[in-house]
Order: sequence, then C-alpha cells, then structure tokens
Amino acid sequence: MSGSMTTAPERCRWLTTLVLACLLAGCGTKEVIVQSEFPDPVMNRLPLTLGIWYDDAFANHEFFDEASGRAESSWRVNTGQAQVELWQTLLKGMFENVVFMNSKPGPGQMNPVVDAVLLPAVDELQYAIPAHTNVKVYEIWMRYRFHLVTTGGDPIAEWTMPAYGKTPTAFMQSDEGAVRLAAIVALRDAGAHFATTFTRVPQVEAWLNSLPHTGQQQAAP
Amino acid sequence: MKPGRWLVVGMLVPWLTGCVNATVDQMVFNSPTESMGDASVVILGRRHASDYETEPDFIRCVGSHIGARDDSIRIIGELEFLNALYPWFEPRTAPLRPADLEKLLEHRDVAQKFASLQTRYMIWIDGSTVRGESAGSMTCGIGPGGGGCFGFGTWSDDASYEATIWDFTRRAEVGRISATASGQSYMPAVVLPIPIIAPVQGTACDSVGDQLLQFLSGDN
Repeated sequence: MSGSMTTAPERCRWLTTLVLACLLAGCGTKEVIVQSEFPDPVMNRLPLTLGIWYDDAFANHEFFDEASGRAESSWRVNTGQAQVELWQTLLKGMFENVVFMNSKPGPGQMNPVVDAVLLPAVDELQYAIPAHTNVKVYEIWMRYRFHLVTTGGDPIAEWTMPAYGKTPTAFMQSDEGAVRLAAIVALRDAGAHFATTFTRVPQVEAWLNSLPHTGQQQAAP
Repeated sequence: MKPGRWLVVGMLVPWLTGCVNATVDQMVFNSPTESMGDASVVILGRRHASDYETEPDFIRCVGSHIGARDDSIRIIGELEFLNALYPWFEPRTAPLRPADLEKLLEHRDVAQKFASLQTRYMIWIDGSTVRGESAGSMTCGIGPGGGGCFGFGTWSDDASYEATIWDFTRRAEVGRISATASGQSYMPAVVLPIPIIAPVQGTACDSVGDQLLQFLSGDN
C-alpha cells in the first residue's frame, strides 16, 4: 500500500509538470479536420454530362492561420476531404452524368467526352471565433472560384461564389469542434448556393441556351 | 460522511436551482379541428440573424417535449428534414413566408418529397438564450496539500424565442407563440464551488413546448 503513495516533493513535481503542460497546451496549433457526409440534392437533373477535375490544392485544401500573439493559438483547418465529398454528392444529384477526368482539361489530353468540365477552387477561407468577435458564434467564410471549360481547356465561364457557415457556442464544446461544425454548415451553404444559382450565372446561362438539348430545361435547376 | 448525510445532500441537490421568470404570449388564428392522423410536424430553427443562432439543442428540446407528452403527434427531426429536402431549407434558401412554399413545390422532386413526409405543420422557431450581466469573483488555488476555491459569482441568463406555425396544406400562417424567460444563477465556493444554475433555456423550452402541444392537440 505504501509503495503506491508519493511523497510531498514528488507530488509537487507532478503538479508543476501538469500545470506547465496545461499552460503549453494553450500555445499549440489547433487542428481541425473537417469530415462529413452530405445529403443528395432534391432537384431535377440537368441533361448534361459534366466532367470534374479537382486539382491537388482543392482535394487537399488546408487553411493555416499563424497565431499573432503568445496568448493566441495557431489554427490549421483541413477541408479537402469534405470538399471532395460535398461536390461529388452535389454534382451527381444536379447532372444526369458526372465523369471524373483523368487529367486537367487541355489540348492533347486523353479525357472522356463530356459537355463541359468544372474546375472548383477555394480562393479564400476566413474564420472567426468568439474570442475574436465577442459574438457567441463561430464562423467560417469561404470564397470559391469556378472555371467551366471544354475538354480541350477552352473557357466557357468563370465566376466566384461565397459560402458562409456559423454555429453557436454550446456547453462543453471545444473551439475545434465548433469550427468543424461551422465549416460543415459553410460547405452545405456552398452546395445550396451552387445548386440554386448555377443556371443563372450569365455565361453559364448563355452556354446552356446554345446547347440544343438543354435550352428548354435550364430554367429549373 | 455517514450514508444518512449523503442521502440528505442527494435530496437537496436537485432543489439547488436558481429562480426563473417566464412569460408566454400566444396568438392563434386557426388551430386544428380534427386529429392529426398520419400527418407530421416539423420544427425548424431560423438561422438568418448575423449575431445569434437559434440553438439546435433548443429545437430538439421542443420536439422531445411535444413527443413525450403526445405520442400521436409525429415530429420529424430537424436534421432529418433538412437532409431530406437539401438544399431548399438551408439558411440561404429557406422560405421566409408561407407563400414561398408554393414556388418551392413547383419543383417536382420537392413536391414528391413533401408528399412522402406528409408534413401538415411547419413550425419555425427564432431566438436564443444569452448570458447577461455577471458579478462577483472567485479564486482557485492548488498546492501540494490539495486545492480549492473561494468566492462568489452570479450571472443572469435571458431567453427569448418566437415560434411561427405554418399550415402546410393551406400555405398560411396559423399561429404565433413567443416565450421569454430570465433567471439568475449563483456559484458560491468554499473549497468546492456549488453551482446553483437557473434553467432558463429549459423553462423557455417547456413554455414553447406546452403552447405548441396545446395548439396541435386542438385545445384552444
């Protein structure tokens, strides 16, 4: 029994280590890996065969914000996996056929024949936590840039689209957990925004009207 | 401590809650005149405000409150409904007026999904619980011989929620309920902190839930 007990100096050392560990934990990088499943969109599919190409920056998208002071933490938010999951689910529900390209569209590339290829990219990501804003919500804001091109790489349309997600503070919820939830809300918002506005992007609308098999149907996404 | 004393402490702890004042306003235009049958009710949080967010926990609490007291009312979970009708009920795309439902139903797939869910009432809840003023101070220390806290803290919480009831079959607003609750919580500490929490959000949930239950049961 006495063998398992510690002496006062030993206890002091343990406590000092524990307190130091707790203090140092506040200085580390807070890492968030966003993972989620997304629902199939409920909408009439466009009669198109759409190709998709994700470049590495998109498929492994990561945001890093270095702490500006000793009292703050650095943040690393990885959304790549969730981005791919969202856009695959969404586009398969929006278009009759979705094909994944073998390589980035361009002259001389061996790719399947499709009506157009969509290349999504995350231009910018910003976050806010209650410690920054004094408002009891965690926020994620993203700006996407889309390129719609032919299989040969010729541009059809290019546009940007914002997405926003927020989540309230909750009892026993960590900053990381709240930022992860806000990112999922932002991704859902991105999907909703894209699905409801795709056919209204002026260059896309003009392109759809020029296609013989979609001219009549593109008004209702 | 003797087991008898533990029993007394155990019996006293549930009574250690702060006081809460709640006010409920109700305005009903058309309550149901017949049983809900197989129809369902969905309770959704409004999430359009920039500085607050209707808590998903609160929406779940109201749904559970109604479901636990009348099992004939079929409540569809918020996330289940949002997923079933994605992307039409996200904060960016959700209908703001009952008339907007008409436009939504022009989409064939959306209309089919609504038919399969048999939604009769759609209840939108908007509001939040916020922490008000706080006072007092508490000091905690830890040393080789042990640790403890000493001091006193107090804070207030205010909840304000409004529920708007849409009759899905008539595409009309048929009722509106608002509930506010406020309460003061205390935390005295002599070695151990003893939280005496006012269940402000829970009281607001019960108030809204009771009124909705009354509406859905046709007891007006």
